[in-house]
Amino acid sequence: MSQLMMAEITGCQETGPGVWVTELLAPSLAQAAVPGQFIHIRCGEDSDPLLRRPISIHAVCRQSGLVKIMFQVVGKGTAWLAGRRDGWLDIMGPLGRGFTMLTAEKTGTAAVPRLVVGGGIGAAPLYFLLQELAGTGYAEHVKVLLGARNAEQLLIHNAVKLLGFSVSVATDDGSAGYQGPVTDLLAEELQCKPGYVYACGPAPMLKTLCGMLHNAGVPGEVSVEERMACGVGACLSCVCRVKDAGGLETFRHACVDGPVFAAGEVVW
Amino acid sequence: MNTSVDLGGIVMKNPVTTASGTFGFGLEYQTYVDLQRLGAITVKGTTLKPRQGNPPPRIAETPSGMLNAIGLQNPGVERVAEEIMPQLAALGVPVIINIAGDTLEDYAQVARRLDGVTGVAGLEVNISCPNVKKGGIQFGSNPVTASEVTRAVKSVTGLPVIVKLSPNVTDLVAMAEAVAGAGADALSMINTLVGIAIDVDRRRPVLGNITGGLSGPAIRPVAVRAVWQVHRALPLIPILGMGGIMTARDALEFILAGATAVAVGTGNFVNPRATLDVVDGIEQYMKEHGFNEISELVGLAQRDTTRSDE
Repeated sequence: MSQLMMAEITGCQETGPGVWVTELLAPSLAQAAVPGQFIHIRCGEDSDPLLRRPISIHAVCRQSGLVKIMFQVVGKGTAWLAGRRDGWLDIMGPLGRGFTMLTAEKTGTAAVPRLVVGGGIGAAPLYFLLQELAGTGYAEHVKVLLGARNAEQLLIHNAVKLLGFSVSVATDDGSAGYQGPVTDLLAEELQCKPGYVYACGPAPMLKTLCGMLHNAGVPGEVSVEERMACGVGACLSCVCRVKDAGGLETFRHACVDGPVFAAGEVVW
Repeated sequence: MNTSVDLGGIVMKNPVTTASGTFGFGLEYQTYVDLQRLGAITVKGTTLKPRQGNPPPRIAETPSGMLNAIGLQNPGVERVAEEIMPQLAALGVPVIINIAGDTLEDYAQVARRLDGVTGVAGLEVNISCPNVKKGGIQFGSNPVTASEVTRAVKSVTGLPVIVKLSPNVTDLVAMAEAVAGAGADALSMINTLVGIAIDVDRRRPVLGNITGGLSGPAIRPVAVRAVWQVHRALPLIPILGMGGIMTARDALEFILAGATAVAVGTGNFVNPRATLDVVDGIEQYMKEHGFNEISELVGLAQRDTTRSDE
């Protein structure tokens, strides 16, 4: 269950250009969190910036109670956060609906071939997902595709390799791996008919990806980003347009119904 | 010490409620707030039919504030009465339902449907929503239409009726006088101030709706002034004051200006426990300063004050 808490900062470092990883000691959060969920962080003591910042959970160590977040400095809130090297953070979490972990009970076999596709800072929550997938003992059925502007922006590439996954990368400038969008790599992989796809990245990438999954008839989930205020489903700010099974379009809320949605339901 | 207040017939054990639209239907905050400690829960603007609300983006952060253009997204009065109210009624806390409509008849129908629903302690008539094309602020920017809505609602309900006023008017006191004359039991103020934020990089408005309502600490002095002016002109009608309340001291500004009760709005997003912090802080203040009755504080800052133009 989500809690409002003060979490101790146990580390903070820049791991990419303008990208920071902050480590928090938060045992109850570590226990409760599932991949794809986020925490809602108060960035400052006064009223400017006013609103909390929703940041996805990047990594969890349940044994030590440590939780990592990875974020890009894009404004006042994240700049404040990047400046916190120790002390305490006022956080709420874990919040939101995370990725569906396919289990043998749900699919008949846990050995479903899975693709994990990340773009830019969108790779952040996928590392936590991969930690969990590594723990299932089916790592050989998982393939990871990562895209970024350049080699420096491939934020989780090395860490994912260390988990033992096979990774292919794509960069816009060709400084690492394939030169071009990560969705080009996805097109090749889709020919091998993966059983399920997990993705997080910029909206244009996810839009392309959802279209490709639809055409290939492959199910999957995407994590979206919307402007958010309360984080608990009260203010109705962070709407995402989705269509239900009957094709009827409606709004759902990234904070409680998401941020992870079925790839087929998001209306781009 | 007595912190209970009577807001136009709504009896609250303390003067603190939530601002409509910032606290959902209350249940969303259950994990963080002991809802039973609130003086009242004021829920999301409710309309006759379900509403989808405005296209995103719906919010923009601004200095010490935020703009919102939610557009009255809500499940409709039927679901509120049938599905949500039974859960809220079980808490035993007075529930104030904010009602809105496109037409006079809409307001009357919503009010009629809620009359007699267990747990509903009062209605807050929203004639000040800046984010919908029809209704809302259209009724609230003219004293004649504002009093028509007030009368339409009063004539179909036995519940206490609070009318929520907009600051986006030339003469707020005239609006207050009009709705009080039409039978409003209390007034709430202020709703949000209309604003626009522009994304300089994209050279486009930030909000899908272009304009939105400004809330948060940035508007507090405007809201305190509104309460002050209306309380001065109409000292007998109770006021529910709101606008940028984050702490007990903020709330006390409103009470000292003349508010009988206060609502925490945007503050809930920043600190989900803000309402309870305000409840505790007001008690603490009364203890420290030797006040036994909260009513002693209402409008106290106005005592022996005269402006040079009065």
